[in-house]
Amino acid sequence: MNYFTDPILRAPTIGCILMCVAASLMGVVLLLQRRLLVGESISHAAYPGAILGILALALLGPEWEEYSFLAVLIGALGSSWLGMKAIERMERKIKIRSDAALCFTLAIFFGFGILLASWLQESLPQWASQAQVLLFGQAATLTDEHIMIYALLALGCTLFILFAFRPLQALLFDRGYSKSIGINTRSFERALFWLLLFSIVVGIRSVGVILMSGMLIAPAIAARQFSNHLKTIFLLSALIGALSGLLGNVLSVEIALRYDSLFLPTGPMIILVSATFALLSLLFSPKRGIAFRLARLASFRLRCLEENILKEIWKRREIEFAELKRHYHPILATFVLQRLIGQGWVDRKGGVLTLSDDGQTRAASIVRLHRLWELYLTEQLGWQAEKVHMSAEEMEHILTPELEERLTKLLSDPQRDPHAQPIPQKRPVL
Amino acid sequence: MNPYSGAGFFEFFAILFQRLAQVCMGAPLTLATDEVQLAVLACCAIACGLIGPFLVLKRMTMFANSLSHTSLLGVVGAFLIGSSLWDGTIADISILLLGAFIAALLTAGLTETLSRLFRLQPDASIGLVFTTLFALGVICVTLFTKNAHISTEAVMGNPDALQWSDLKLSALIAFLNIGLVLFLYRRLQLASFDEPFAKAIGAPANGLRLTLFLLTSATCTGAFRAVGVLVVLALLTGPYLTARLFCHRLSHLLIWTPCIGLVACTIGVALSRSILSWTGMPLSTSGLIATFIALIFLSALFVRRRKKTRTGWTGSALPAG
Repeated sequence: MNYFTDPILRAPTIGCILMCVAASLMGVVLLLQRRLLVGESISHAAYPGAILGILALALLGPEWEEYSFLAVLIGALGSSWLGMKAIERMERKIKIRSDAALCFTLAIFFGFGILLASWLQESLPQWASQAQVLLFGQAATLTDEHIMIYALLALGCTLFILFAFRPLQALLFDRGYSKSIGINTRSFERALFWLLLFSIVVGIRSVGVILMSGMLIAPAIAARQFSNHLKTIFLLSALIGALSGLLGNVLSVEIALRYDSLFLPTGPMIILVSATFALLSLLFSPKRGIAFRLARLASFRLRCLEENILKEIWKRREIEFAELKRHYHPILATFVLQRLIGQGWVDRKGGVLTLSDDGQTRAASIVRLHRLWELYLTEQLGWQAEKVHMSAEEMEHILTPELEERLTKLLSDPQRDPHAQPIPQKRPVL
Repeated sequence: MNPYSGAGFFEFFAILFQRLAQVCMGAPLTLATDEVQLAVLACCAIACGLIGPFLVLKRMTMFANSLSHTSLLGVVGAFLIGSSLWDGTIADISILLLGAFIAALLTAGLTETLSRLFRLQPDASIGLVFTTLFALGVICVTLFTKNAHISTEAVMGNPDALQWSDLKLSALIAFLNIGLVLFLYRRLQLASFDEPFAKAIGAPANGLRLTLFLLTSATCTGAFRAVGVLVVLALLTGPYLTARLFCHRLSHLLIWTPCIGLVACTIGVALSRSILSWTGMPLSTSGLIATFIALIFLSALFVRRRKKTRTGWTGSALPAG
């Protein structure tokens, strides 16, 4: 089935994609301003206005029913604008903390919306279905007119970001600086504000009032994990948004086709897909992803353990495996030992471990770093000799060959450490 | 036969007091639908009024927003756990509370994990967690009941469907809140105004946070059948923000806030009944309550401004909150 050409499926698919692109672009802006939850308040504040729009149309011009989405749009824009103004005033004039102002505004506006919706339900029941759609969205009934609006919106957001990229970048990272170099921050912020309102208000039709803020949040978070460059973040965020719009829509349709009477709402599906993207990138993005961070940490810990065991064997010439297991965690010790034997640093005869030639060199170089650092601390930094061991225990794993060279030069190639132990000489590591 | 049918706004109170007097005189206690509504909402207002101030002071209201959303998932989970109880009624209190607690712990745990382990900024982690869990909740509801209407009801609230069991649940939660707030008053006060000091003298800051999480979640669960997951937030923040305009002691605020909530709920129920009597239109009670809370807030603002211009009173000494 072709989602892009089928006359019924075409509009929801393309509509969702465009809407998601616009929302995820604006989400990046909010993410960098650390105001992501504003989206939540705006989308809830749009609800009463949207219903007022339907009411007004029903009372004034019921013959223009096919343009009801325009009435919804205008009403929603109006009331979300009012909501933003209310939040601003509460924060500035009566010094309510911003989270309380956001929460209060969204609850009050939404409550008023519920009141209006119940009135609409009772007095004009034939229009009530249009109001119900707004809660969780209904992508399936999007039409080609919606697409035109969504396309305009997505185009507007993209063009704005494209043409105003430089000043936008300055504004997002340093407002004071951008003001000082003559960027008109006020009008930029106003433009961003209106784009944000538009992208949220338009998205309500397909994702719904309650979940719209998720559409702003997830793609931006996902994109942020992959890059530190604003351009890349914008691009990725739009891409992830578009993909989630497409996949959410396709999933919802496919499930409805496979299992009849199982109509999973499109809006929540889109949110779930984009949240999955966010979760995956939080876990597996190369630089910031938790999996790689943990892997790096684990490999570092493992190397420390390896080096400590090498050092231990070096100091005692040979060591019983059983004793090693008493000192360290037995499973870890066995695992590390296998690796050390595999690398040819340690020989095992019966239960006794000795170092090979390579192992000797490796262990000596670690001990050399340890003792150099101890000497550096006492001679150059004036530490007492009995206090330097702990610091050296850590630094021996971190010092690089360049640092070693500098230390050797600084301490003029020393032979003895502060505890009068010999410092092993540097030998080329094979 | 509902004694309130056809009653106007003032008649509602007349009938209410009359029936109260009768019960005091020894008449058997039978609750009409309106009275169940009123009682449940009163319990909600008290429960919300007691923890609302702490949530605002500790800047946790958006977290409460997140908890109230995810309580939907908790309730769905509770259904799955106790699916044998599934007969269209939300009855078993312990299972519901269990679901709410699990949802609260899940939300709190995920949010903290995202911001600490994944180093996500706090607004992003709150937003990501609750939208995802709420979407999951909506989808689960649709999957298991094949009926999206229930999630609409969860969002809007439906006071007309309230029953005796709901009253038991919300009364339990209200008493829980009263008891814990009285018991932990000093510590909560300390932790909301000077957390570093509270930590320094060894108050368990994380334990208090967790208690607040759990209480908020229980409160949202108790209220979501009555007013829906979003108007709870109006009850949590609105009365406190109003009371704060003319009162600056935490102990007084903790009295004023539930009272304002109570007034809003009572008038909401009475208005809803009288509008039904006058016009035959059943308006949403939760919507009326939220609107009325907004009106109280606006009029308090107006009164304060008049007072300010007339007496030169500069109002709040509190910096923010």
